[in-house]
Amino acid sequence: MAEIVVPIGPQHPALKEPVNFRVIADGETIVRLELDISYNHRGIEKAAETRDFVHAVPLLERICGICSHSHTTAFVQGIEEAMRVRVPPRARYIRTAVAELERLHSHLLWLGVAAHEIGFNTLFMWTWRDREVVQDLLEAISGNRVNYGVNEVGGVRVDVPERVVARAMKDLSFLGRRIERYGTLVREEPTTLVRFRGVGRLTPDAALALGTVGPTARASGVPYDVRKDDPYAAYDDIPFRVVTQTAGDVFARTLVRIGEMAESVGIVRRSLLDLPGGPLKVTSPRVAPRAEILSRYEAPRGELVHFIRTNNTDKVERLDVRTPTLANWTSVVSSLRGHPLADLPVVVAAIDPCLSCTSRIAIARPDGTGTTSMTWDELRDHGKRYYRATEGL
Amino acid sequence: MDPLGIVAYGLLFPGLVFLIGYALFFEFVDRKLAARFQSRVGPPLLQPFADLVKLLSKEDVDTEGSDATAIRAILILAFAAVATAFLYVPVLGPSPLAFQGDLVVVLYLFTLPTILLFLLGWLSRNVFGTIGGTRALTQLFIYEVPLFLVLLGPAIAAQSWSLSGIAEAQRASGWAVVAQPIGFLVALIGLQAKLERAPFDLPEADTELVAGPWTELTGRKLAMMRLTMDLALVVGSGLVAALFLGGPSVPWVVEPAWLAAAAGFAAFLGKTLGILVVLATIRSAMGRIRMDQLDAFGWTVLTGAGILQIGLVLVLGGGGGG
Amino acid sequence: MRGGAVLRELLASLWKGPATVRYPAERVPVPTGFRGRIAIRDDACIGCSKCALVCPTECIDMVPSEREVPVKGRTIVRKKKPEVHLFACIRCGLCEEYCPTDPKAIYLTEAFAGAGPDKEVVVR
Repeated sequence: MAEIVVPIGPQHPALKEPVNFRVIADGETIVRLELDISYNHRGIEKAAETRDFVHAVPLLERICGICSHSHTTAFVQGIEEAMRVRVPPRARYIRTAVAELERLHSHLLWLGVAAHEIGFNTLFMWTWRDREVVQDLLEAISGNRVNYGVNEVGGVRVDVPERVVARAMKDLSFLGRRIERYGTLVREEPTTLVRFRGVGRLTPDAALALGTVGPTARASGVPYDVRKDDPYAAYDDIPFRVVTQTAGDVFARTLVRIGEMAESVGIVRRSLLDLPGGPLKVTSPRVAPRAEILSRYEAPRGELVHFIRTNNTDKVERLDVRTPTLANWTSVVSSLRGHPLADLPVVVAAIDPCLSCTSRIAIARPDGTGTTSMTWDELRDHGKRYYRATEGL
Repeated sequence: MDPLGIVAYGLLFPGLVFLIGYALFFEFVDRKLAARFQSRVGPPLLQPFADLVKLLSKEDVDTEGSDATAIRAILILAFAAVATAFLYVPVLGPSPLAFQGDLVVVLYLFTLPTILLFLLGWLSRNVFGTIGGTRALTQLFIYEVPLFLVLLGPAIAAQSWSLSGIAEAQRASGWAVVAQPIGFLVALIGLQAKLERAPFDLPEADTELVAGPWTELTGRKLAMMRLTMDLALVVGSGLVAALFLGGPSVPWVVEPAWLAAAAGFAAFLGKTLGILVVLATIRSAMGRIRMDQLDAFGWTVLTGAGILQIGLVLVLGGGGGG
Repeated sequence: MRGGAVLRELLASLWKGPATVRYPAERVPVPTGFRGRIAIRDDACIGCSKCALVCPTECIDMVPSEREVPVKGRTIVRKKKPEVHLFACIRCGLCEEYCPTDPKAIYLTEAFAGAGPDKEVVVR
């Protein structure tokens, strides 16, 4: 068969959010992909520049529904560091508990979506049914199932009373059992094994060279986890294991995420049982002194980076959000070459893509003559020239 | 049977009207069971009928540049093929239209919808349809050999090429599944592949190909094709029930004749529903495999098992009627 | 198929019945502290406008409304009170957090159900 263009996206049953893969396929084998990730761009970074810190937090929470706590925590941690504000221990523990619950619900969601991508809708329904337990627990803690509104600059807005802790312990036991069951299931169910094993293999060198982060990198043996390498919140108080695998294929990433879920159950349990007393927040100044902060956070999908530049006002001068999905896209594009078309949804789902987090703007040329792409070095040169010209750096 | 009787048999019961009604009931059981396996509620009894009526009332879009007449003709042909195949499946007792060789006719008619599905994909001028249609044909080549092999096993054992004759022969010799268990298993797997249900739903893989050859079907066309596939589920189950489970027969003699027919009918319902439950369980329990994996599985495991079974039948005489 | 774990799960799900809550016939349990529909306590509001200022979506308008309101034993006359565009409210609870009165003059209830054809519906 000659080369055909298969339009996967922007609308396609495989995709939960709009993204465009122009797949050039030879029969059923993928020759190359052209990636367009601009569809969910909403200008949030710019919008954050016109809002003071109190108003910016709800805005950033809505960058993504699944990792909303990740964005707010990364942001307020950065601002707190600029203001040199020390958050009370109770707040740090509550942030940790909610963060790990978010990781739990995100990984359960991912397991269901990965099963759906291979047509195994039964596992999808089961994992999402059990995910409801996490959602209900988050609702009991924060008042909302999604976009919990837990963070503010200086601490947290909600407390976790004793009865909620008791409920959490029951829920966590249930979740621990279910996660173990899913671990057994994916290791036994034949179609999952054949569709995930050996697919989308990423060697450790490739993982490092392409800049992958999170479970995608850890499945290739790269033991990089911001919670261990640059601890924040309560992570240096609570012991946990960084889960890695070596095979680097989709199956390895599945095992990593299931392992992380088991660890998260333990972390939530520890952080709620050891919840220190004390205030929930400290009053923070209205204005943040001049500073440039790189705030890092281990979101469910990997390392989330907020670059924040403050300038002695109550607003940020520049906010740049580098989400883990953005770092992982290149691995998808390069690892899919030569694979059959049937592997596309599986490999894409394996990085756990979150387009709302990722979207970068695409510039439409008025003469509309096709697309180009820059190499890494061209992009760096372009950046240097740009900042030299505009900011005199 | 007199001509009026044959018309009533073919059109009403257990012909077209019964077939459509039973097919919609089958779709309900399939969906309800799959839903309950997934901790969902599932549709109410009349949902498949409601879906059919709804689809019939929806806008029917003819894509630009596609051959609308040909597509409509293909859909009618597919429906007719499957409905006609059902005429030879024994439902109350032996079919009044049975003749030596009707097994071959049924198998041939049953293959038509897959080829027509490929044509539908090809004519839809949609890249997903083309790829999906090609997958349907490739899949056909893979599972057809083992499926046909094992379906011939009971025929050889019963020394008859008539579907009704094979079912009747099992009254005396016992159900063929006892003597040919491997054949029964391969037949069930082959049936699942023929009906393009998980794990063999490659042509329609929704996360890979939107809807494969079904992508450009809308409104009445989609209703027709879905109904055809529902009919195929019934015909396939009836086929396997007749060949391996003795069709509409109960293991003891029943008098008078009308009670025997009623008992046979009940047996038919029970056996086909049993097969449906197995197929629905397989569908819920597995994901979708890839074409190269199907290739490997089909040509090694399935065909190997099929050849083994046929070999055993030829050597041992099948244990029934021979 | 080693283990049969999937088959066991299938049968367990079949046995336990659907996980669906058949709303509205069955009730959905709402936890304490659920952030639901916004409401205003007219007789407690002192018209300070803090809620309108802190609201991230700017969905609160302060409208003229004179009323005597008891505050810490005294009585003051407030000059304005909030009106909320219900479908613009993101239920973040910042207004409730920053409201200085006790009981809160603006607060989130635990009501979670509601739909309407008018996007401009206002809570007073």
